[in-house]
Amino acid sequence: MSGLKAELGEEPEAYFVEKRYEFIKRVVSRVFKGKRRLTLSDLLDRVFLHRGLGIPIFLALWWALFRFTFDVSAPLSDAIDMFFGWLGDVARDGIANPWLASFVADGICAGFGSVLVFIPPIFFLFFGLAILEDSGYLARAAFVMDRALYKLGLHGRSFIPMLLGFGCNIPGVMACRTIEREEDRILTILVNPLMSCSARLPVYVLIGGAVLGAYAAAGVYSMYILGIALAVCMALLFRHTIPYFKGRRSMFIMELPVYTRPTLRSLLRHMYERGVLFLRKAGTIIFSVMVVVWFLATHPWSATAGGELVENSYVAMLGKALEPLVRPLGFDWRAVAALFFGFLAKEIVVETFGILLGVEEQALTSAIAQLFTPVTGLAFMAFTLIYMPCVATIGVIYRETNSVKWTVFTVVYGLLLAYAVAFVIVSVGHALGYP
Amino acid sequence: MIRVALIGNPNVGKSLIFNNLTGGRAHVGNWPGKTVEKKVGKCVHKGVEMEIIDLPGVYSLTARSVDELIARDFIVEEKPDVVVDIADASNLERNLYLTVQLIELEANVVVALNKSDLAMDMGYEIDADELSRLLGVPVVPTVATTKQGMEELKDAIVKAARERKKSPLKIDYGRRAEALIERLEELIRKDPMLSQRYPTRWLAVRLLEGDEDVLRKVRGSAVWPEVAEVIR
Repeated sequence: MSGLKAELGEEPEAYFVEKRYEFIKRVVSRVFKGKRRLTLSDLLDRVFLHRGLGIPIFLALWWALFRFTFDVSAPLSDAIDMFFGWLGDVARDGIANPWLASFVADGICAGFGSVLVFIPPIFFLFFGLAILEDSGYLARAAFVMDRALYKLGLHGRSFIPMLLGFGCNIPGVMACRTIEREEDRILTILVNPLMSCSARLPVYVLIGGAVLGAYAAAGVYSMYILGIALAVCMALLFRHTIPYFKGRRSMFIMELPVYTRPTLRSLLRHMYERGVLFLRKAGTIIFSVMVVVWFLATHPWSATAGGELVENSYVAMLGKALEPLVRPLGFDWRAVAALFFGFLAKEIVVETFGILLGVEEQALTSAIAQLFTPVTGLAFMAFTLIYMPCVATIGVIYRETNSVKWTVFTVVYGLLLAYAVAFVIVSVGHALGYP
Repeated sequence: MIRVALIGNPNVGKSLIFNNLTGGRAHVGNWPGKTVEKKVGKCVHKGVEMEIIDLPGVYSLTARSVDELIARDFIVEEKPDVVVDIADASNLERNLYLTVQLIELEANVVVALNKSDLAMDMGYEIDADELSRLLGVPVVPTVATTKQGMEELKDAIVKAARERKKSPLKIDYGRRAEALIERLEELIRKDPMLSQRYPTRWLAVRLLEGDEDVLRKVRGSAVWPEVAEVIR
């Protein structure tokens, strides 16, 4: 349809729809007798749907939601984290059998903790989203963003999930529910993990600070841009190569509901229903994987001296076994092990390096500087950004797509893309003469 | 007997009008091969018998949803004598989109301008005569909840069925698009299988819009290679 598009100056379908509406507008302007009184809804729409102001207003409201979700929930998440840390210490001190103590403290308590810290942001997010949705604003936001996103192969409603992904991919993926058509929804879910979530920031800060010197901030910032660029590229690629996504996107005909004041009751119900769903489904997956990882990091029990010597654990063995695979990227087995743990939650990469390198937080930077060059460090940052989403996100992706196929697809394409991008960074860096 | 199809956007009061016309007695079944409900009722007005078929509520006739496809196929293939388009007067602009598409489909349209009372409450009135003149189809103001305008609607249906006037309305799609439409119409006229079954201008426009269902219909035609050249 490219020749036709050039002939008409835009998508043929949109062109004809616009012409019909132009005609209808002329008709309507001639048959109205008297003046339609402006309602409050009309006045609000004049502002919210304004051509110039619509998008800035939306961005400001989104930012408010984003800050609300993560700022309000942060102290609660910290408190939960501390509580389970404390519970773990109590268990460690209270249980005589060291294996059992380790299992309860590092397996069960840490496992529960890692699930429950997600609860505050998720509940607050859904509360905030429910306000936007019930008030009737969310429909306007999607309307405002549709035109820009249509060109990128995404749907107007995919904008909110993508933005939320910067905070955490879990609410990002879950917010995809507002997209009605299944193909559009799944495509948005697939590229959501490329939005750099807040858990990846500590990794960028650690590696960037250690090896990029004065360019650390630019390196960190570039990861966010890289994520957005890749998400757009992947969406376009999938849209054009995977038969499932081919075909026509649904035109965006939607009714804009009249603005209403949301009731607290319905807001709480929305929040509760969606939040509990997360707990039940994703929670069980996160928890069981935590236990498995505890096992891998502390066994064989005697070789690791009761979980103390990680370099003798199964995880280290795995890291060493996979090392040849990542050697072209300039990573060693510790990087592999760190990435393996990062699969749990990406910020764990930092803690893993700490354990594997056997140093305290302060000495970590200099130890990391020994491990990576600026080029391989940047490649590692990019790898952390792109490779498979954390286990919680994978759980939610499975839950939301209800498909093993798409879940596996997300993991596999993420790994391949991460490898490819890291390889390009290393190759280009070396070609330019950097070590 | 006159066959009358009822169509309209969701929530315009279509069911109420159906009940008003048929007295609530309806034969309820499914559309062939679909899980969408089909309601058919009868109405006798001044000695004229009418069969009223309730089509699914739709915003447009793009054939992208099952509902739209059912509605469109019925109008294109079954060619009812009259299509009553129920439009919400309190939300005229959006409702007229379907009306315009029905006229493009060359259906014998009668517009029922429903919820006229609500529009009046909102502080405005719609000039039904002017609307009728601009669209080239009869327009009857109605209030389904109080059965206002029902007799006038039935009169208009009977009159429209007798006269079978075609609306002269043609939307001007702009010079470039019109040139393409004309070329396609010429091609379509070469194939009587197409031109006798479908309105040529409607078919041409839908081809340009990339309507999958219409493309499928034209692909089997001998003129398809030339059509494909135009819409490439």
